[in-house]
Amino acid sequence: MAAVESILATRNMPFCPGCGHTVVANMLAAALKELHIPPLDVIEVSDIGCCGLIDGVLKTHTVHGLHGRATALALGIRLGLENPEKKVIVIMGDGGATIGLQHLLEAARQNVDITVILEDNMVYGMTGGQVSGLTPEPLKEIKAPPESTVPPFDLVELVHVAGASYAAREIVGPKVKDRLKKALQTPGFALVEIVEMCPSHGLKKIKELEQFSRFPAVENETPHQPRKMTFQTRESLLNHLPRYPITTSTPLERTYRILIAGSAGGGVQSAGQLLAQAGIVAGSFATKKGEYPITVGTGFSVAEVILSPAPIYYTGIEIPDVAIIVSPDGWEKVQHRLNAETLLIVDQGLDIPESFRKKALPLQHTAGPKGAALTGIAYWLCSEGVLPLESLQQAIASHPRAALFLPLLEKGMQLAGQ
Amino acid sequence: MNTSAKTRTLVDGSRLIIEALAQAGADVYVGYPITPANWLYAYAQQRFPAFMAAPDEITALQWAAGFATTGKLPVTATSFPGFALMLETLNMMVMMELPVVIVLSQRLGPSTGSATTGAQGDLLLLRGAISGGYPIPVLTPSNLKDCWTLAGEAARIAVALRTPVVLLTSKEMVMTHHTLNVEDLPAILPVKWPLFAGDEGYQPYKVQDNGVPPFVPVGDSRFQVRFNASTHDATGLIRKATPEALANTRRLREKIIQHLPEFTYLEYHPGVNKQALVISYDISAEAARQALQEMAQEGDQPGLLVLKTIWPFPAKAWAIIEQYQHKIVVEENLSGLLAELIWGNRLPETVHPINQIGSLITPTQIKAEVRTWLQ
Repeated sequence: MAAVESILATRNMPFCPGCGHTVVANMLAAALKELHIPPLDVIEVSDIGCCGLIDGVLKTHTVHGLHGRATALALGIRLGLENPEKKVIVIMGDGGATIGLQHLLEAARQNVDITVILEDNMVYGMTGGQVSGLTPEPLKEIKAPPESTVPPFDLVELVHVAGASYAAREIVGPKVKDRLKKALQTPGFALVEIVEMCPSHGLKKIKELEQFSRFPAVENETPHQPRKMTFQTRESLLNHLPRYPITTSTPLERTYRILIAGSAGGGVQSAGQLLAQAGIVAGSFATKKGEYPITVGTGFSVAEVILSPAPIYYTGIEIPDVAIIVSPDGWEKVQHRLNAETLLIVDQGLDIPESFRKKALPLQHTAGPKGAALTGIAYWLCSEGVLPLESLQQAIASHPRAALFLPLLEKGMQLAGQ
Repeated sequence: MNTSAKTRTLVDGSRLIIEALAQAGADVYVGYPITPANWLYAYAQQRFPAFMAAPDEITALQWAAGFATTGKLPVTATSFPGFALMLETLNMMVMMELPVVIVLSQRLGPSTGSATTGAQGDLLLLRGAISGGYPIPVLTPSNLKDCWTLAGEAARIAVALRTPVVLLTSKEMVMTHHTLNVEDLPAILPVKWPLFAGDEGYQPYKVQDNGVPPFVPVGDSRFQVRFNASTHDATGLIRKATPEALANTRRLREKIIQHLPEFTYLEYHPGVNKQALVISYDISAEAARQALQEMAQEGDQPGLLVLKTIWPFPAKAWAIIEQYQHKIVVEENLSGLLAELIWGNRLPETVHPINQIGSLITPTQIKAEVRTWLQ
C-alpha cells in the first residue's frame, strides 16, 4: 500500500516548548500514517483551549467550535457523513470535557463512531492554570487548597459505563500511538485520555505526572454495533387528512362560537375536533383550539370551536354562543366566560345558577365520562338544527375510533327526542 | 349544494410547517420536546428523512450544526427556555455560516412561565441574539398559508445565505386547527445549496459577489474544508482581529442586509385615508384582520400592515408606516416589543400600543383603540 501524506503541514507546533499537546499531535500523525488514512479522510473537530490551536498545522478538514461542545458537533458530523471511511476525531482538553460532559456521555451511550482525544493536562492552561474537574487532589493542594478534598472525575470509567466501545487512559509517552490506533480502528465511540504536562501552568515532567495522576493507565474494550443514520423518504403529512369537497353553499346560517368544557381524558378535544370537521363537511369554515393545564392528564380540558359560513380570522371566543359543559372541572374553568345570551348544555349533575339559559341533560349517565361531550354536541346539532347530523356522522366515519363514537350520535338524538 | 374537485380539511400550523420544510429538502430534525413546540416535534418524527432525539437543547443545536457541515439541512423547534440554551450555538452557526431553521413557538414567560399559554415575548431577544448586533432572518407566519410558504422560504434562505433562520410563531398559531383549502397550497421549491463549482482554489470563506461563500461539505476528497466559530480569515483559520478577518466578520451582517429585499414579506391593506394604521404579526394579526373586517362593515377603513419578515426590519414596511398619522401596534406582551423594535424605547405620541399578557388580544380591543384615532 502506498504511503499516505502526514496530516501535519509543518513540524513547528503552535504550543509552548515541552507541551504534551506536541507529543500527542505527532503520535496522532504517526498513527494515521500507519493506518494509511490520508488527511482528507479525517475531520478533526477541535475544542476551545490550547489543544484547539492544532487546526492551523493540520492538512485534514478542521472544525473549530465552542468550548466543551466538540463531541456534540462531531456526533452530528459523523451521522451526517454518508461515507463510513471518513474518520471524525475530537481533540479536547480537561476543561472542555467537563463543560461538555453530557455530550461525551451521550456520544458514548449512542456509541457513535468518533474518536475523542482527551488531552488532560490537569489544569486550564489557556486562562492561567486554574484547576479543572480532572485535576487530582495532590495538585489541588498546591493550586487550590480548599478544593483538595474533592476528587476528580474518572472520565474513562464514565464513558465506559455509558456505552463506549473503547475507553483508555495513558500517561503521555510511546504507548499513546498504539492506543490511538486502536481507538481509530474501533467502530463506535472511542476515547483516549492522555495525561500530559503543561509546562506553563501544570506539571512539567513525566515523573511528576506518574506521581500526581489519580487514576491508573487503563484500557476498556466493549465492542458493539455503533449507531448509524439513514435518510429515507417518508410519506406526506397531508396524505391521510380527511378531506371534504368544497361546496358552494352551507346550511350554516350564521357564525357559532362553541365552548366544550370537561375534564382531562374525557374526550373533550376529540369531540371538538369532530364538531369542527362536521362544519367543514357541511361546507362551512371551522377552527378548533384546545386549552388545558400544563399537566395534560389532570384537571380541566376546554375545546373552543368556531363554525362560520365565511373564513375565520380570530380564533378566540369572547362570548360563546353555546357552552357544552360536562364536568365540574369544565364548569369551574369556563363559568366566568358565559353570560345570559349563552346557551348552556350541561350535565344535570352540575349545580348551575338559575340566571343562565340552560338545558340540563343526563350526559354522563347516558354516555359515560368519555362520551358525554360528543353526546352533548349531537344533542345541540339535533335540537337547534344548526347542521345536519349526517355531517357529524361523516366526520366520525374517518376517525380511528368511529365504532365507539357513532352510538353517541344516537344517544344525542334520543335526548333531543328524535 | 354544488361541489367541486377541490377539497377542504382541518389542519394545524405545526403540520403545515413540518410538511413544507420536508418538501423544501430539510434532511434531519434534531430536537428536545417542549410545549408549545411539541406538535412540531411529533410531526417531524413521522415525516423527516432522519430524526434525532437530543438530551437537551444545547446538544440539539450542536448536533444540528454538525449535520449542516456535511451538507444536510437541519431543523429544530423550541420555545423560550430551550431557545435560551441554544443561544451560544446559534452564534456559532452564524460565525461558521451554517444553515438551520429554528421554529420558535412563543409561550408566556418570564422563565418557564406558562407552557400552554401563548405569547409574543421573544422578538427583542431575536434582534439581539447575536453578539455584536449581527442579524439573523426572522420570518413570522400569521395564518395557515404563511405557515406553509414561510417555512419553505425559511429553508430556502437558510441554505442560500448560509445562515440560521428563525420562524417565529406562537402557541395559538401552531396548535390551533383551521380550515384549509388544500389545493390552494403553492408548490414548495427545493432548497439549492450554493455549492463550489471550481476545480481548484477553494477557500472556505472566500466569497462571491452575493456575499455568500460557496459551500463544500466536510469530508470532501478534493478540498480541505474548515469551519470556524472564532474570528477567522478566508481560509477558515483563527485570526486575532486582522483586517481580513474583521472584513469577513462584517460580511456576516452585510450578506443578510444585501439580500433582505428578496425575503421581505408583508401584507398590506391600505386605509381609505392615512389616519390610522394597525400593525401586527403572528397570531395577533388574525385579531387585527377580524377587527378591520368588522370595521369595514361598519363604514371605517383604517390600514393594516401584517409583518411577515420582521427582522431585519424591512425598508418596505417603513415606507408604508411613514404614510400614516397614527400607528396602532398589536402584540401579546407586556411592554410593546414590536413597537420598541420599530421606534426605540421612547415611542412617538402617534404610536399606540395594544398589549396584553395571558390571553389573545381581541378584535373588540383593537376596534376600540383604532376608533379613538379615526376621530
